[in-house]
Amino acid sequence: MRAWRTLLLALLGILGGAVATFPLAVNAETPDAALAKLLEGARAEAAVPGACTAAHLDRLVQIFCEKRLRAGIREYYPLFGAREGEARSGYDVDVGRAVAKHLGVEPVFTRVNAASRIPLLAEDRIDLAIATMGHNTQRDGQVRFIRPHYYQSETTVVGPRALAVKGWPDVAGRTICVTIGNGSNAQIISHNVRLMLFDEAGVLPDRLKDDTCTLAAQDDSFFAYYFTHPDFAKNYEQKFGFAQVPWGMAVARTGSDQLARALDLTSQIFHRDGVFLGIARGNSVGLGFLERQQAVWKRPECNTDTGSTNPACVLPALDAALQPTPFAGRATAIEDWVEARTGVDFSLPMFKTMPAWSLFKDGIVNSLILVAGALAATLLFALVLGALQSSRRFLLRWPARAGSIVLQSSPVVLTLVIAAAVAQAFFHYSSAVAIGAAIVALGLMNGSNAGQAIAEAMHTLRAERGSAQGTGGIPTTELFGRAVSRSATQIVSFLINAAKGTPIASFIGAPELLSALTDITSFASGRATTYTLLLVFYVAVVVVVVWLCDRFRSWLEHRQAAA
Amino acid sequence: MMGLHIPTGFFPDLLAGMVVNFEIAAIALLFGLALGGLLALGRLTGGVVGAIATALIGLMRAAPTFVVMFFLLNIIPRDAMLFGVGVSPSPLMIVALSLVPYSASYVADNGAESLKQLRAGSPLGALQFLPNVTRAFFVLVMSSSAGAAIGVTEGIAVILREAVLLPALGDKLVLFAIGILFFGVTLQAGFALMRLLQRHLGRFATRNSAAP
Repeated sequence: MRAWRTLLLALLGILGGAVATFPLAVNAETPDAALAKLLEGARAEAAVPGACTAAHLDRLVQIFCEKRLRAGIREYYPLFGAREGEARSGYDVDVGRAVAKHLGVEPVFTRVNAASRIPLLAEDRIDLAIATMGHNTQRDGQVRFIRPHYYQSETTVVGPRALAVKGWPDVAGRTICVTIGNGSNAQIISHNVRLMLFDEAGVLPDRLKDDTCTLAAQDDSFFAYYFTHPDFAKNYEQKFGFAQVPWGMAVARTGSDQLARALDLTSQIFHRDGVFLGIARGNSVGLGFLERQQAVWKRPECNTDTGSTNPACVLPALDAALQPTPFAGRATAIEDWVEARTGVDFSLPMFKTMPAWSLFKDGIVNSLILVAGALAATLLFALVLGALQSSRRFLLRWPARAGSIVLQSSPVVLTLVIAAAVAQAFFHYSSAVAIGAAIVALGLMNGSNAGQAIAEAMHTLRAERGSAQGTGGIPTTELFGRAVSRSATQIVSFLINAAKGTPIASFIGAPELLSALTDITSFASGRATTYTLLLVFYVAVVVVVVWLCDRFRSWLEHRQAAA
Repeated sequence: MMGLHIPTGFFPDLLAGMVVNFEIAAIALLFGLALGGLLALGRLTGGVVGAIATALIGLMRAAPTFVVMFFLLNIIPRDAMLFGVGVSPSPLMIVALSLVPYSASYVADNGAESLKQLRAGSPLGALQFLPNVTRAFFVLVMSSSAGAAIGVTEGIAVILREAVLLPALGDKLVLFAIGILFFGVTLQAGFALMRLLQRHLGRFATRNSAAP
């Protein structure tokens, strides 16, 4: 008998060892079972007399004590959170109702917006935020996101149906309207796209309609509402999407461990059972992400109580943190110093993150190249067009004069656009091509005027002295040199004009300082300081150019006097 | 190019856009005349006031219009109030204001010169101020096309809006040529007006000096 007992114990030991070796295989629970157990425990805790008045209760227990779930939702985000009188509607609202129902409590909604949703959680004025909140690494330090994510948005580029745009190569060199602070702006900039900045997303559809914007980029969830309007959908379409951001329900980082766990499991179940999908269908929001997520959460390895921590099942947070510069701390110290002494909100975003610093440095270098190039091109075209317009040959003189009149008749923006369009027909669009096109355009515009001045000076010199070589006059080349000296004031004036005109090159995507700073302010704060520095930079550059040009004029005039 | 189709509404839109260019230029010139006139008087006063006026004129001459436009666009809060009244300028007004440094410095330079001529007993020289201001007005009309960069629907913005829908370079160039023609005719007409004014003033001055 003892031998049998020993044998039985040995078998039990082997079985126990096997269980210990393969814990997942034996201990894995369905999310439903894990949730039921968790809720049962919380309800039991809430039911203990006096427990609800105890300090440091987990919010899940508190929800059962109060029999209500306080959900923060948006009220002016069409299709996701909207309110007409007492009636609330939208995907987020219905998700809140479904979660509350699953917990067996009543939902109580509180209005939140992008700025208030995190503080309201931290102040314990809401239990849960379901408020179109993108999950990024920066926010991970502020709230506890529920995983799996309940929705995913992406930035979508919207434009007229007639416009052939399918991807990034088609938008290089174009302008896209965006909102300041949109997380995807940095990505747009990296594709040689110019930005037109707006404070509010709400104006973008109107700016598309009145043709201020040809293309606009914003969350697809934002445009989804407008695409439910037949007029808008008839004229515009989503060209392409990028920068996917998972949206997370969120709870406070402290005192919400059990609530977060319960919501993780609930979210898993909602994805697997198509609850989120059904709510999305009912609110006419995009289904693609939710359909893919349903397939994920039906997979055996994900459909477990540990699925929400399994990297193979959940999506990572968007890494939105920008790498700081080595001197970011000093920049902040300077900002604080100025603000403390002057009360002025002083900000130096270009010195604080590596992408901004890189744009800033490149912007300065490109601006100086542009100024130098525009000055050289103006001088060159002035001499060439001046010589052609001074020619005695009709076939050289009149085309040059006609060209000059055309150039003088074209507004600067139009000449730049023409130069860029021609350059793009021959070269693949790039920053260098845009800078080159701008240099040629500025050189032609100002050079044609200066060239006309040279030709007029040449005409007066000929009238004064007689001209042709061999007829007792002075050689044409020498006469031309004197004409250049005589028109020194005009040449200098157009050289200064060319230098002053260089910032307009940003209109065709040349990455000079104005363009760089516009890009920086699209994802960082400090617009006032940034544009003040820009103005100071360009005024300083023009002052230096004026000084150099004055010296050049003195040299030309001295040369004329000597002649 | 054979398939170039210009929508029916294009030409009315272009003309309406050009009216905006004229509107911007007129506002910029009005502000420029007021500010430039004061600066011209200040410069002729001499002393500290003259030095300050000269420095200000120099700075305004050096300020690139396009940068000033973005500066104003970003520095003035959208909800700016003065004595309880909203003073945030519209994009059109921002373009006009960005042209004020140019127009004011131009008016100050020419105004000071005219005042000198007047003091020297040459009314004809002083009257040259009028054709010069006319020239500045048409330069401002052309420069106001910068407004296209901040979404002002002026003439060039209308042309660019159509051009963006044309895939072929040839078609785009035809459209751009139409733009140059419209603006060119305006500019040349303006300069012709200026020359006419100069001749008229010349005859006027000659008649006056010949009179007993």
